[in-house]
Amino acid sequence: MFRIFAIARNAFREAVRDRVLYNLVLFVLLLTAVAIFIGELSGGQERKIIVDLGLSAMLLFGVFIAIFVGVGLVYKEIERRTVYAIFAKPVGRGEFLIGKYLGLCLTLLVNVVIMGTGLSLALIYVGGGWEPLALRIWPAVLLIYVELAVLTGVALLFSSFSSPALSALLTFFIFIIGHFSADLKSLAASTGNIGARWLFSALYYLLPNLANYSYITPAAHGQVPALTQSIVAILYGGFYTTVILAIALLVFSRRNFK
Amino acid sequence: MIEQDQMQFTAGRERAPLQASVLVIIAIAGIAIFVSLAHWLDSRRPPVDVNIEEERLYLTGKTAKRLSLGFNGLIADWYWMRSLQYVGRKIMNLPQDVELDNLGQLNLILLAPLLDTATTVDPQFLEPYEYAALVLPSVNVDEAIRITKRGIEANPGAWRLYQHLGYIYWQQGDFQSSSKIYANGAKLPGAPPWMEAMSARMAAEGGSRRVAREIYTRMYEQAGDESVKEMARRRLMQLDSWDERDTLRKVIQLYRAHAGHCPASWREAETVIRTLNWRVDTSGAPVDPSGSPYRLTKNGCDVDLDPGSLVPAK
Repeated sequence: MFRIFAIARNAFREAVRDRVLYNLVLFVLLLTAVAIFIGELSGGQERKIIVDLGLSAMLLFGVFIAIFVGVGLVYKEIERRTVYAIFAKPVGRGEFLIGKYLGLCLTLLVNVVIMGTGLSLALIYVGGGWEPLALRIWPAVLLIYVELAVLTGVALLFSSFSSPALSALLTFFIFIIGHFSADLKSLAASTGNIGARWLFSALYYLLPNLANYSYITPAAHGQVPALTQSIVAILYGGFYTTVILAIALLVFSRRNFK
Repeated sequence: MIEQDQMQFTAGRERAPLQASVLVIIAIAGIAIFVSLAHWLDSRRPPVDVNIEEERLYLTGKTAKRLSLGFNGLIADWYWMRSLQYVGRKIMNLPQDVELDNLGQLNLILLAPLLDTATTVDPQFLEPYEYAALVLPSVNVDEAIRITKRGIEANPGAWRLYQHLGYIYWQQGDFQSSSKIYANGAKLPGAPPWMEAMSARMAAEGGSRRVAREIYTRMYEQAGDESVKEMARRRLMQLDSWDERDTLRKVIQLYRAHAGHCPASWREAETVIRTLNWRVDTSGAPVDPSGSPYRLTKNGCDVDLDPGSLVPAK
């Protein structure tokens, strides 16, 4: 367990040293500041637009971080051959992979918390005082974080057997398809062909249903997701990621580094 | 060999400030050139073809929603701001002021699709429905009713949408439908008591000024958008002005009965006007709710607004 945390801490440090991360956080905070001025063009809808823009930017930049940092986590170690030094010590491949995953999740958590705080402060600033929306956005922020954690797992899975460019592309496709899950289900229901029905049903269940975490729009209206639904969505994300990491580990443990 | 390298290194270091200065000059000159070129291109750009500008939207609301990838709130905001900009741009091109509820002359053919997309992508976004109810009837009343009804379907608990739909029917002179809509809205939890009263008043005296005053007063109180508030305020001024002009006509009739002719100027009728405690300007002319003096017309036998008045003429 200690070894996993040591690798996670190092992965986090490495990500923090990467200047791109700082730039992204700064950019989102700037975007939130810009949202305040865009709000003035919106006919009295400043708060809604700030929440929409802030949370959407949080998701979008989080996705970029998860994909572009996630696909390089394992690949960079292999490319630089530092993986030999790590495995020369008493560190298992599973510990290495899970440590890397947790390190990036920690990086994303820090990002999301900073962005969420910036967004809350922007709302308080626009409201000219205490603004209930500043608190009500946090369940949506949590769901965004779970979505990013799932995507990080997917990026790690692809990077365990593929090149960074291809892994990034495939993970981005999964992000897009994950938001079209409802269409896959309706396609499965509407098609007359049994084979196609099975195929679409299988895709619907096998690919992550990221629409479960889309709560940005209701959050902008001050709505909070139902507790049960949120807990189930988080559990779904947790189990899905466990399976993804198990598969990644299976592939990674069979990989020959020579 | 080492000495030669060292000399090259020293010479390079000496050249560095010069290189930096040259690069800064190139950058500044470059900016100046491309800004000038951009100005040149802007000034010679052919005017946009009206047919292209008014081209239908590429995406329907449903398609935009499907392609939103969870960013539907942001897309709805985009379409909402586009609607405001679209109307604002057209209003700015007009030589005179127009009321927000009287924009039929502007040929706003894209407004309905823009508002429809905004509300399809985010059905809980109430402001576009309000805009559809207030601005759209003078452009396309069927679309205004359709969008507002869709809003009620998506937000069955939002009594304000019933208020908007009732307003559209009232504007069309369909007081019975309007009364029914107000009554339905009044039944919702959280609906204010005046919705019930409005329903009864609409059924009894739908076309009266009292109902109009009630409608615009409520609209002024409830509106979130400043332009809608301003429109309601100006309509209330107009109603006040109609009442005032009726009173002034009576004053003129009284003066005519007494003097045998209509007053040539407001000074002649000053005594009667003063007894009514009317606000007058330096010339003795009574002023309308916006502070502009009323004008005597038809040889002093009638009264009208001053052309510079902020009270809407229509």
